[in-house]
Amino acid sequence: MAEKKKLRIQDLAKIREKTRALTTIRGSEGRAKVTVHMGTCGIAAGAREVMEALLDEVRKNKVQDVIVATSGCAGLCNREPMATVEFKGQPPVKYVDLTPQKMRKIFAEHILCGRLVPDYALAIGSETVY
Amino acid sequence: MKQYRAHLLVCAGTGCVSCGAFKIKEALEKEIRKRKLQDEILVIATGCNGFCERGPILMVHPDGVFYQQLKVSDIPFLVEEHLIKGRPVKKLMYIPPEEKEPIPKMKDIEFFKHQRLIVLRNRGRIDPEKAEEYIAFDGYEAMGKALTEMKSEKIISEITASGLRGRGGAGFPTGKKWAAGRAAKGSPKYLICNGDEGDPGAFMDRSVLEADPHAILEGMVIGAKAVGAEKGFIYIRHEYPLALKRVEIAIRQARENGLLGEDILGTGFNFDLEIVQGAGAFVSGEETALIASVEGRIGMPRQRPPYPANKGLWGKPTVINNVETWATVPNIILRGAKWFSALGTKTSKGTKIFSLVGKINNTGLVEVPMGISLRDIVFGIGGGIPGGHEFKAVQIGGPSGGCIPAKLLDLPIDYESLTEAGAMMGSGGMIVMDDKTCMVDIAKYFLNFLRDESCGKCVSCREGTQRMWEIVKKITEGKGTEKDLEVLEEVARTCKDASLCGLGQTAANPVLTTLQYFRHEYEAHILDKRCPAGVCQALIRYVVVAEKCTGCQSCKNACPTQAIKGTLKDVHLIDQTKCIKCGACQEACRFEAIEAQREEAIQII
Amino acid sequence: MITFRMNGLEVSAEEGWTILEAAKFYGLEIPTLCYYEGLTPYGGCRLCVVEIGEGTRAKLVSSCTYPVEEGLVVRTDTKRVIAARKMMIELMVSVAPGSKVLQDLASQFGVTQVRFEPRHEECILCGRCVRICAEQMDARAIGFHQRGYKTKISTPFDIRSETCRLCGACMYVCPACQLRCQGPQAETTLCNGCLTMDPTCLDYYDDLQCWMYDAGRCGTCVREKT
Repeated sequence: MAEKKKLRIQDLAKIREKTRALTTIRGSEGRAKVTVHMGTCGIAAGAREVMEALLDEVRKNKVQDVIVATSGCAGLCNREPMATVEFKGQPPVKYVDLTPQKMRKIFAEHILCGRLVPDYALAIGSETVY
Repeated sequence: MKQYRAHLLVCAGTGCVSCGAFKIKEALEKEIRKRKLQDEILVIATGCNGFCERGPILMVHPDGVFYQQLKVSDIPFLVEEHLIKGRPVKKLMYIPPEEKEPIPKMKDIEFFKHQRLIVLRNRGRIDPEKAEEYIAFDGYEAMGKALTEMKSEKIISEITASGLRGRGGAGFPTGKKWAAGRAAKGSPKYLICNGDEGDPGAFMDRSVLEADPHAILEGMVIGAKAVGAEKGFIYIRHEYPLALKRVEIAIRQARENGLLGEDILGTGFNFDLEIVQGAGAFVSGEETALIASVEGRIGMPRQRPPYPANKGLWGKPTVINNVETWATVPNIILRGAKWFSALGTKTSKGTKIFSLVGKINNTGLVEVPMGISLRDIVFGIGGGIPGGHEFKAVQIGGPSGGCIPAKLLDLPIDYESLTEAGAMMGSGGMIVMDDKTCMVDIAKYFLNFLRDESCGKCVSCREGTQRMWEIVKKITEGKGTEKDLEVLEEVARTCKDASLCGLGQTAANPVLTTLQYFRHEYEAHILDKRCPAGVCQALIRYVVVAEKCTGCQSCKNACPTQAIKGTLKDVHLIDQTKCIKCGACQEACRFEAIEAQREEAIQII
Repeated sequence: MITFRMNGLEVSAEEGWTILEAAKFYGLEIPTLCYYEGLTPYGGCRLCVVEIGEGTRAKLVSSCTYPVEEGLVVRTDTKRVIAARKMMIELMVSVAPGSKVLQDLASQFGVTQVRFEPRHEECILCGRCVRICAEQMDARAIGFHQRGYKTKISTPFDIRSETCRLCGACMYVCPACQLRCQGPQAETTLCNGCLTMDPTCLDYYDDLQCWMYDAGRCGTCVREKT
């Protein structure tokens, strides 16, 4: 806390709002989770830039309740970079052949407004795991 | 506030720090900068996670993955695999004993699964040196409520209704103490936080002070409003430098932000805190001795009445509570007395922190609801006894407590049931003992501690602990007689009856409980001149087990008195007349072929 | 006035009195050692313990420090009290067998065995000297060093004190160096010679010698043992 202002009760609530990103990451499940697949194939195809674009959008829009995670290779190496978007209580959506611009569009449409972007999506739902 | 996609929480309780946690943190920060991830990944140091057996510990969020026993050399691989490629590193995860598969998430690990964190809710979760993080997780919300919405009497009635009892050991109802403090005549009134945790094996208060110092500050402000105090002291023992540092930082930050000092949160309420350091005496944890210490006098207890709530610090009404008690208060005010009293048993509400140490697989700090059985703690959370040994006893309550044997393992943990069994809840230290522990030796250890820490004021304790120690020592040396047991019991009873303060009154507990539940061990030492557990040096003999001996000569070379005879490749023999029972041979042997003879009949090879 | 019960009698005392003061007022004898009239009570020797309360909540407290309370139930000579007193004396005699005051207490309360290894020290840490130096002589030249079994009484840092006026008050009140007893034998440490039901000196003298002269000066109790 840079300002040496004395706090009031309302300020406590404000700080809690401001730090929601912190509590989301360390505690709750968040509203949504975006997993950028970063296996060796993904990184080679440019997943790092996709990740950076995503994080940039998160910061620009001051979104506090979305978790950004990484995971290993999802299996479909020729469609990398890939990302999976999961909303709480809904089946996950896999997006393929991503670029930083496509990631930004997905963020604006799907993450912020809740509207799937069918052109970039591969499938909805998870793989069956035996 | 800067946004990161992952937070790395490095456990920095004193236990992990001594295993190199700060070096791990540095290595993480270095590697992250090297990989240009510093704007994406945050590294912070938190307080103790509780699973001290497995330090250094790292938590990766949002994944919730638990890494343990880290070395600096592990870090580059970890960053590459988990943080960049998104593949959590299996070989650094926790694998339960006897199993092969690692458990990645903290919430699935047996040790953590059964705990119920209230006082320790912020452990391993926040940076204790940032007030902002405490506020993020509902910090100071209860204080705000208490200062603006609740009258002092309401606060006291809420605490009373919750059933909270002092967590320092005696278990006195906190609400009652606060009510007495409020009703007492005199001003100014003081609050004291007792952080002079002296029990060997206890580190609950240290963990709370290191992991979540703001919780205590918040609790004390609430208490100040309830009792009508304007000044408080946090007494921390000098041997806790990290706790002292973190509480200092917390107080400074709280003052800077108007959460402590004058006009708190703009409500017009004033309350300030000061830290007082202890100076190395266990007895200063006793409330009247602590008060004397704060006043600058010698730390000797005095008789009560008058109780500190009426006449305490400088003769003024003083409410003293333990660290854990103060840290519980904000939770009760925030979530209500009903919520708190729904946990626990009829007479012991809420949760209690226990330090699980000794001969147990999962050493560490656990917070569990009252009423849980000892068996669940030792074998469930604790993971049982290592090395295939058998459970023998658990010492509860530190040197003032007693030993509970195996037959009472299903005892529920609460103040009354433990006292009935002869032990005591105490601070919550739990020292687990296996079949290789000699109970007479344990009594000797605790008596030695107590005679050293006795303040020396009253004859019954000062001389009593000294004489009890002398007798028990004699017994462990094989020189005890039956008469000694009689005298021991008499001194123990008088020490318990006539002593001035809690130290003396409970000093006899280790002796009385071991005599009650393990009398046969004392008798074996006295009548058979034998130590069944194979611990007391004078009463064991080292012999070579013929079937296992390979004749490698390691023991012969290790023996300082040349008491071992044998040629290469032949079974060796220990000459008992020369053996000084130092145990060097047993340590040197790589085939476990040297045994300290105990129950079995002596074999002459 | 505060009314309470002592040994079954209903008694009353002023507020601020201790149980010991009330007992003295009513003529009930409670032995003391570290208590000294005019000094603040210390509560260290535990000789003056009495049993208060009833049933399972009964406990022993030192009467010299416990203030009287309305409705208190006090008993000065119960099984627990006597056992505690005897043990305290036994412990103290084993520490300083050379003190006549302690030997007298032993004889008075029927302590006939000392089952501990004697230490032959001079001080029993009753604190009388510290308190008289601080409270009556206003010098504070001596105090307690260390703690527990290592406790000793000395000047700060064991160096010659400048505040000590050599008044001798500390020696005057000390129960251990008050009267030296030549009676006790090294092995038994217990004398039981004088102040028993059958003092040895009356075989030789008409008066009880220990009251008139220093302890054992007549030599009859010592002579008897050798």
